[in-house]
Amino acid sequence: MSAAAAITWQGLKGACLALPVLIAAVLAGAMIGETPLAPDLVLSVLANKLAGAGLPVDPVDQGIIWSYRLPRALVAGACGAALAVAGVVLQALLRNALADPYILGISAGASTGAVAVTIAGLGGGALSLSFGAFNGALLAFGFVAILARAAGAGGSRAAAAQIVLAGIAGSQLFNALTAFIIAKSANADQARGIMFWLMGNMSGVRWPDVWLAVPLALAGWVICRFHARALDAFTFGTDSAASLGIPVRRAQVILICATALTTAVMVSIVGSIGFVGLVIPHAARFLVGPGHRKLMPAAALTGAVFLIGADIVSRIIIPGQVLPIGVVTALIGAPSFAVILVRGRRAAR
Amino acid sequence: MFLRSGLIGLSFTLAAHSAAAGDTFPLTIENCGQSVTFEVPAVSAVTVGQAATEVLFALGLGGKVLGTSVWFNDVLPEYADLNAKVERLADNDPSFESVVAKRPGLVAAQYEWHVGPEGVVAKREQFHDLGIPTYVMPADCAGKDNTTGGDGTRTRMFTTGSLYRGIEELAAIFGEADKGAELVADYKAREAAAVAKAQEVALEDASALFWFSSPEMESDPFVAGQKGAPGYMMQQLGLRNVIETDEEWPTVGWETIAKANPTVIVIARMDRRRFAADDYEKKLEFLRQDPVASQMDAVRNNRIVVMDAQGMDATIRAIPALEDLAAELSVIGSSQ
Repeated sequence: MSAAAAITWQGLKGACLALPVLIAAVLAGAMIGETPLAPDLVLSVLANKLAGAGLPVDPVDQGIIWSYRLPRALVAGACGAALAVAGVVLQALLRNALADPYILGISAGASTGAVAVTIAGLGGGALSLSFGAFNGALLAFGFVAILARAAGAGGSRAAAAQIVLAGIAGSQLFNALTAFIIAKSANADQARGIMFWLMGNMSGVRWPDVWLAVPLALAGWVICRFHARALDAFTFGTDSAASLGIPVRRAQVILICATALTTAVMVSIVGSIGFVGLVIPHAARFLVGPGHRKLMPAAALTGAVFLIGADIVSRIIIPGQVLPIGVVTALIGAPSFAVILVRGRRAAR
Repeated sequence: MFLRSGLIGLSFTLAAHSAAAGDTFPLTIENCGQSVTFEVPAVSAVTVGQAATEVLFALGLGGKVLGTSVWFNDVLPEYADLNAKVERLADNDPSFESVVAKRPGLVAAQYEWHVGPEGVVAKREQFHDLGIPTYVMPADCAGKDNTTGGDGTRTRMFTTGSLYRGIEELAAIFGEADKGAELVADYKAREAAAVAKAQEVALEDASALFWFSSPEMESDPFVAGQKGAPGYMMQQLGLRNVIETDEEWPTVGWETIAKANPTVIVIARMDRRRFAADDYEKKLEFLRQDPVASQMDAVRNNRIVVMDAQGMDATIRAIPALEDLAAELSVIGSSQ
């Protein structure tokens, strides 16, 4: 069997394993929620909507499943996958186990953009919170990129640290701007709305968000997966990567821009959900090892399932109320990660 | 949402009785856990919170207000000219020094989180140390725990009693107890008439939802919980609140609301344009177009009432809001 055929065969095998898990998670997301809806009801709605079966279903139930929960589960999956893959890429590029998608200042910038629109009144009500968040994220990322470049960031370990430091500086600056806007002009009710968004809020997700999030997550994944060999090489530093024929600068620019863009879009749709981009890559590494060819799909699947699960928990943990999903990701993720850490250490002995 | 106040307060303390009874000075009032003594009637005030400002205007004491702050909406139209003559220290939270600089005889606050134990403007003691007495509207602390953060947590349902008590006590502090008694009598009569009107209708198993706003148009809305001013209104008018939590303004998912299927939906109208759903027209558009919300009986039968946002709070605007809601219920009842 040729190498290419082996890869394709591996990919097919992986897809056969991943797809049922993903579909099961999405169906669970559609079934479980604030109001209990029977599994056969979900199947009836799917039959009605996808195959025009015309089965008798209460219109409210059908609306809840089709218009609220399914898009929510799909976007949670896309978002979880995108953040996890972004985390994998940045941890390899920056050779830093603590790197995550927000290290590029995206979360801080998104927050600034969001409060500029909702609290400072930028746009006079014509701009949406998501629009503000997206532009704020890109602005912050641009600032961090320029600063990192000016500081001579590159691929060596020392130069990779410059990107991390530039990210910290950018994040601090935009966090300060956010605090300034809130302190200057927020009423507490506005602050609460923003707080909820900052901690991750999936409640407003609808089908148009699916058409944005899912293709983007797939495109981001394809780009990063295409660079799997380069990422393996980057793990050993840029000199090693260059000696292996990797176009270092181009790969860095493409990968950082791809992760920044996908993260910015995801943050603008669902808010700053922490933990996924930092921890899921490590969890996936424990499962399949450090090779990026396997790590990338494993991280995407783990991230997707994890975030769909976290969203389900956020909707049922307090009856009649929805928790910000970021709270749940940390509450579930931290202990799970602790278990993985301890097991990984034991396995290494 | 944060910043919605409100509370209970049926029981008048002895001090409050003496305050309401006449202008006896020195006057001691038990106010939000503190005993405040006034040796002489107050001659001036700075207000921190629109509700406190409008109470003083309604009492005819607008001429004694040196500065205002924390505005949510335009002032009531009948006080527009009066308000134009009063300095606005800040649209939102004023600084401690800007309040002190006016040398007020009283700082009257709507919310404890502005002037209170964790006050963002100042602790009450900071004003007291400078010889400036403070008064916090009892609607924000009677039967309410403000140590829980956010909007605080109501331990008992709001009633207009705490609102009336605030009016009477503020009037007494200025040595104008008669004005307070007169205003409260008028409000009580209007409230009783509104309740009587609603009782005439007696809708069958009627329920309601109060929707204030939403951070984003499709996201979970801020709706009224059981114990706030809207909860009291619903109880008085014989409506069951479909939101069961005691939180002041919880966020609740549309799927839960749609399944509860309220008979009437009350939506807030406000001047603020910060959240997508601040505009009541956009709320209406959402209700009519959203695939789930549009299925609710209240939407299908066009039983949607638009209400002044400040009327959903523990303010004097709650009285006309109650009247409007009772009138709308009459119309709904007669069309059933």
